[in-house]
Amino acid sequence: MSKKEKTTKKKKIVEMTETEQNERKMSDGVITKRLLKYLMPYIWYFVLALVLMIFAIFGDIILPVLLGGAIDLLQTPDASLTKIIILMIVALMITLIYAVTEYSQTMILQKTGQKILMQIREDVFWKIENFSTAQVNQNPIGRLVTRVTNDTNALNDLYTKVFVNLIRNVFTILFIIVIMLVVDVKMALITLSLMPLVGLSSFFFHRYSRKAHRRVRHSVSRLNAFLSENLSGMKITQVFNQEKKKHNEFRERNNEWKNSSLRSILLFAIFRPSIYVLFILTSMLVLYFSSKQIVDSNYTIKVSTLVIFYNYAGMLFNPIQQLAESFNALQAGFASSERIFEILDYPDDIVDNPDAIELEEIKGDIEFQHVWFSYEPNEWILKDVSFKVNTKETVAFVGATGSGKTTILSLIVRNYDIQKGRILIDGIDIKKIKLSSLRSKIGQMLQDVFLFSGTIASNISLNDETVTMDEIKQACEYVNASKFIEKLPNQYEEEVRERGNNFSSGQRQLLSFARTILHKPSILILDEATANIDTETEVLIQDSLKKMMNIGTMLIVAHRLSTIQHADKIYVLRLGKIIESGTHQELIAKGGHYKELYELQSQKQKMQIPKNNNHH
Amino acid sequence: MIFGKYINRYYLRYLHLILLGAAALVVVDYAQLLIPDYQGSIVDSLIEGNLSMDYLRHVMLRFLMIAAAMFIGRFAWRVTIFGTGVRVEADLRDRLFVHSEKLSQTYFHKNKVGAQMALYTNDLNAIRETFGMGILTLVDALFLGSLALYYMFRINVMLTLLLSIPMFLMALAGGIIGKFMRVKFQERQKAFENLSDFTQENFSGLSVIKAFVKEGKELLSFRKINKDNAEKNVIFLRYANLLYVVILVTINLIGFILIGIGSYLIIKTNTTNPEIGFSVGDLTRFVSYFSSLVWPMMAISQLINIRSQGKASYKRIKALLDEPIDIVDNNPVQVKVLRGEITYRNLNFAYPGTDSLVLKDINLEIKPGESVGIIGRTGCGKTTLVDLLLRLYNLEENTLFIDGIDIMRLPIKQVRDLFGYVPQDNFLFSDTIHNNIAFAHESMPEEEVKHYAALADVAGNIEEFTHQYQTVLGERGVTVSGGQKQRISIARALAKDPKVLILDDSISAVDSKTEETILANLQEFKKDRTIILIAHRVSSIQNLDKIVFMDNGRILGVGTHEELLANIKLYQDLVDLQKLEEQVEVAEGDAHE
Repeated sequence: MSKKEKTTKKKKIVEMTETEQNERKMSDGVITKRLLKYLMPYIWYFVLALVLMIFAIFGDIILPVLLGGAIDLLQTPDASLTKIIILMIVALMITLIYAVTEYSQTMILQKTGQKILMQIREDVFWKIENFSTAQVNQNPIGRLVTRVTNDTNALNDLYTKVFVNLIRNVFTILFIIVIMLVVDVKMALITLSLMPLVGLSSFFFHRYSRKAHRRVRHSVSRLNAFLSENLSGMKITQVFNQEKKKHNEFRERNNEWKNSSLRSILLFAIFRPSIYVLFILTSMLVLYFSSKQIVDSNYTIKVSTLVIFYNYAGMLFNPIQQLAESFNALQAGFASSERIFEILDYPDDIVDNPDAIELEEIKGDIEFQHVWFSYEPNEWILKDVSFKVNTKETVAFVGATGSGKTTILSLIVRNYDIQKGRILIDGIDIKKIKLSSLRSKIGQMLQDVFLFSGTIASNISLNDETVTMDEIKQACEYVNASKFIEKLPNQYEEEVRERGNNFSSGQRQLLSFARTILHKPSILILDEATANIDTETEVLIQDSLKKMMNIGTMLIVAHRLSTIQHADKIYVLRLGKIIESGTHQELIAKGGHYKELYELQSQKQKMQIPKNNNHH
Repeated sequence: MIFGKYINRYYLRYLHLILLGAAALVVVDYAQLLIPDYQGSIVDSLIEGNLSMDYLRHVMLRFLMIAAAMFIGRFAWRVTIFGTGVRVEADLRDRLFVHSEKLSQTYFHKNKVGAQMALYTNDLNAIRETFGMGILTLVDALFLGSLALYYMFRINVMLTLLLSIPMFLMALAGGIIGKFMRVKFQERQKAFENLSDFTQENFSGLSVIKAFVKEGKELLSFRKINKDNAEKNVIFLRYANLLYVVILVTINLIGFILIGIGSYLIIKTNTTNPEIGFSVGDLTRFVSYFSSLVWPMMAISQLINIRSQGKASYKRIKALLDEPIDIVDNNPVQVKVLRGEITYRNLNFAYPGTDSLVLKDINLEIKPGESVGIIGRTGCGKTTLVDLLLRLYNLEENTLFIDGIDIMRLPIKQVRDLFGYVPQDNFLFSDTIHNNIAFAHESMPEEEVKHYAALADVAGNIEEFTHQYQTVLGERGVTVSGGQKQRISIARALAKDPKVLILDDSISAVDSKTEETILANLQEFKKDRTIILIAHRVSSIQNLDKIVFMDNGRILGVGTHEELLANIKLYQDLVDLQKLEEQVEVAEGDAHE
């Protein structure tokens, strides 16, 4: 079948290797250590933030003490307004200090968190940017993007929210407990008696609610997938008169969403009031026992005790609940961290050798010496391939799908490293040349032309500011692209939409030619497109190809007869071996594999006829 | 709260739930505000030294009753009010979808799928939140707020009035900062989107970046976007933080004022003015009432934010639901069976909302049983010509006829039933292959599905899959090649057993041998059916009964290949151009002999 089916097979293999692992491989300790490494440069900011935070916690919990103090003061016989006013002024100052510390500690944390986030994000991006072709193919693009965007965000939460809230909540709880113990040990224990229950039930509730939440999310994504597909395929539904059926399918998913949402509401409707009931129970305990204590002591114990405990009991609820929740958040953050570290731990695959040299100029001699190559161990794609291309020659590789012809091109630019043999450019082993040096001398025109969103000009210059518009125009002129570009409303500034969807495959091909020759390569490699290209553009492409053959050495994986015909030499590949070589005429005369391939090819180009078998 | 003609009905439909929820809220609010009073009276008794244990036990019993009432009430309002929100969202979503199904292609061309999806997700979400939060906040603010204020007034008017000033200021500050936050939040989202888009595109085009050694340059661009994202985050967080601090400080401040003035009042009561009647218990009551006011106040300022989002969302949803359904039956004539005789008469066509004619002065007749090829350059109007047959657009009267009846007067369903359509983009659903082929006939037996798959020459491929016809296509299932997609799409059209089969450039992605098989099968399948085949290459259609040659929206000629070749210069050019490519082959053919 076609090439597309080959990629399909590849994808399937990839999908099997990438089954989501739920089990974490890195231990919490290892992850924490690595996270700390990112934190180390900013450690003093964190220390400062923590110190400020402790002040802030005082601000959080000051009110009941003040209220208690005021009440005590009021009970003393010499209660005077002055004392109250002094108390209030002190409180006001504490509040102002609190406001400043609270604000600055949060901002310090957040700013530092953002700096760390930026660093990690850049590290991940750069790591992926330098992935080898094989490593890129192992991972779906969407997943790699998620690593850079969402996972790093989760990591940021870890630094700025999870850790910090954990510390803050622990301290808040501790401070309140200490204050309570100082005021009255027995009452403190009574007040705290129900707290473990609050913590435990929160912990388990969050476990459970996460599941419910996951179900809702799942139904949302099912609903969205259905919608996005059916809104884009509405024409088919309408033409086939299947609106009712599709509506039923939609309703089923919509109901699934509704039910899972209602379930989740129900869960919260039980949990939240339950916690509230625990709160009232705690209040009752405090009211009852401290009142009883006061009555029993014959009113020698101060009423402020009751007020203080009553208020602190309420204040304990939030941090305890949050603390329980943060254990789950910690797990989620660690999972994200692990995914990021996994990316960062990818081995460097194709990198410069320590002694790699910079090449100023390349003449363009290419030689393969007994090259063996396989993607998977022992499944050889190229078997002992040797050939030599001289400067400025044009060579075409032909062969059936899977014969290894495209692989040859990707080996020259070191997208993959070969297992055996040598590849030489101007007599130098390519492994001894700096990657950047090697690749910048070789102009690659790939089969699926990728265009970035931007303008035509930015796609040709690839955002290189040093390239002038004249140079861009010249390049386009040279490859026959200027004709269609100049017909566009905005010409070279015409918008290129995502992936260049607003241009035909032929036009995209011409743009990729322009892009290549603008970067002045000494060697050109071209993987010719198999797609149908309208006849007019095809003529332009062929004409432009002929011109490009004069620029430098050119290697083409050819699918079109006219392209093959213009080559100085043709190599015929079969199952990873070169089986024939020569000029077009020589090979036809020889009457071997090439001739067979050739006839199949010619037939394909002529055929596309319903019942035409009339070969004369 | 949010109102509008598409929403008001839900207030009625779910009135019982809403009322129940509101009643539950009132109970909760009432019960909640009982607590401070009990607490206050205990404090007062303790200070006066006359607390009886009986009274204490009585209060404890009341607390238990309050707890029970609160549990039931809170459970009830959550389930009813939030539940109603969910039901409203589900029902609205259903309405949106049903309406979308009726809209014409004009709408779908005008509105990107992404934008439509936003209606179904973000906008509906905003409406639900506004709806639920709205009811909740309204009842809470009105009832809890006024009850608490009433209690506070009853204790001391002056103190209450004095407190309402900072409370009002806090709500105001909340509103203003909240507004800034919303703007900054959007900026932050935008920055994150930029980062995502850049990364997505960069990784998708990584092969190009590597080929041109632009990794370093890309890193610099990434760094800029990354930094911008971090900055926007910090700005947003600054406002969020500010809001948090302002609220906390105000609450503390109000607490201090309360304690200060309260103490002053207590001293006055105890010394010079007993008629003020402000006790320590009153102070604790006041503190509690005040703290129960904090939530409704926050909720109101939050609601103001949500509501403006909800209103904007509602406007967008209303726009979709108000979108007129333009392709409708209008007093259709009753016909038993359509044979499929097609006549275009002086037809001109411009896409709705545009002026430029894509089809000009079209006159064409296609008789039942004919095989017709349509050819012409990209953009010449081929696809539009067949799309009109499917009644995807409205036409001027008396320009297109099926069996001699104006297509505008025929029932749409019947017209569409007449045709088997294979689209250019081979759109398939992510469903099983079986269901895709049997799309038009849900209950089609497997045998029949296989038969049509075989006709489309895709049966062999399907049987290679592990799950065969139960293989799920698309996202989570197996990815199939473009050629396989095309053939499944052909099988789907054949399975409809249509009188007229339309193939819109539908066999471009298969190899020549497969194409030959399909075309041969089609001939066999054809019998008395009409086939309309749009093609790019002359060779694909040159042997059909009739070729329609189009250019620039006009039909330049209709006839057999030979007739067109003899009479039409542009057709000759097209043929020559396509032959050019095959020249090599001709030369080779000579050498061969």
